Amino acid sequence: MNGWNLAAAVLLGAGGTAALWGVTTGPPARRVIAQNMTTSAVCPALLLLSQGYGRPAYVDLALLLALLGPVGTLVFARLLSDDLSDGPPSARVLTWTAAGAGAAVVLAVCVAVGPGRALVKLLVTGALLIGGNIIASRALADGFQGVRGG
Amino acid sequence: MADALIVVALLLVAASATAAVAQRDPARQALVLSFMGVLLAALFTVLQAPDVGLSQLAVGSALTPLLIMLSVRKVRRRGRARKEPE
Repeated sequence: MNGWNLAAAVLLGAGGTAALWGVTTGPPARRVIAQNMTTSAVCPALLLLSQGYGRPAYVDLALLLALLGPVGTLVFARLLSDDLSDGPPSARVLTWTAAGAGAAVVLAVCVAVGPGRALVKLLVTGALLIGGNIIASRALADGFQGVRGG
Repeated sequence: MADALIVVALLLVAASATAAVAQRDPARQALVLSFMGVLLAALFTVLQAPDVGLSQLAVGSALTPLLIMLSVRKVRRRGRARKEPE
């Protein structure tokens, strides 16, 4: 078991436990935030796993998750808008912490991979992960006033 | 020691599946289910089956919650429409 896998296990265990606790308890607003946090915890873990197993093809999983995770959160933000309207969820600290952790992991894996096509793929994954995270939490905080009831 | 990752992923999947069953409200069940879908994909990756993980990600993270939430919405609306004429 090398350091990458150990880091992935720690990230998966800590992030997964925190997200599980958040998603099963509390008001709906907190649950949606925790669901959004799942993506930002598991996606860097998948990147670390791909580096730990020495299989660059595993980056595809992280790429797909970075693409589809925010889509799932937007589905909940749209269809749960009635429940979310009484207390619009906002977690600025958590959002920026998750974005920072994702950026740190992507940077570490990038340094290990070195220049090449794999590096471009990693950078695209990181950009999608952080951008999607910020877009999803912005949508949760601001709500979907314009399309509500449609 | 190399099995630690598998143990972590398995424990999280088991805990989230139990939590999904224990929830009462279908909308909240859908939230826990989407969480479980992502973790299941991580478990498949740890077990060296990334192809299964890819399809699980596509289905579990966005498609299943969307279907459940759409049907919950439709059922609620129908219930509301039936109550109104009385």
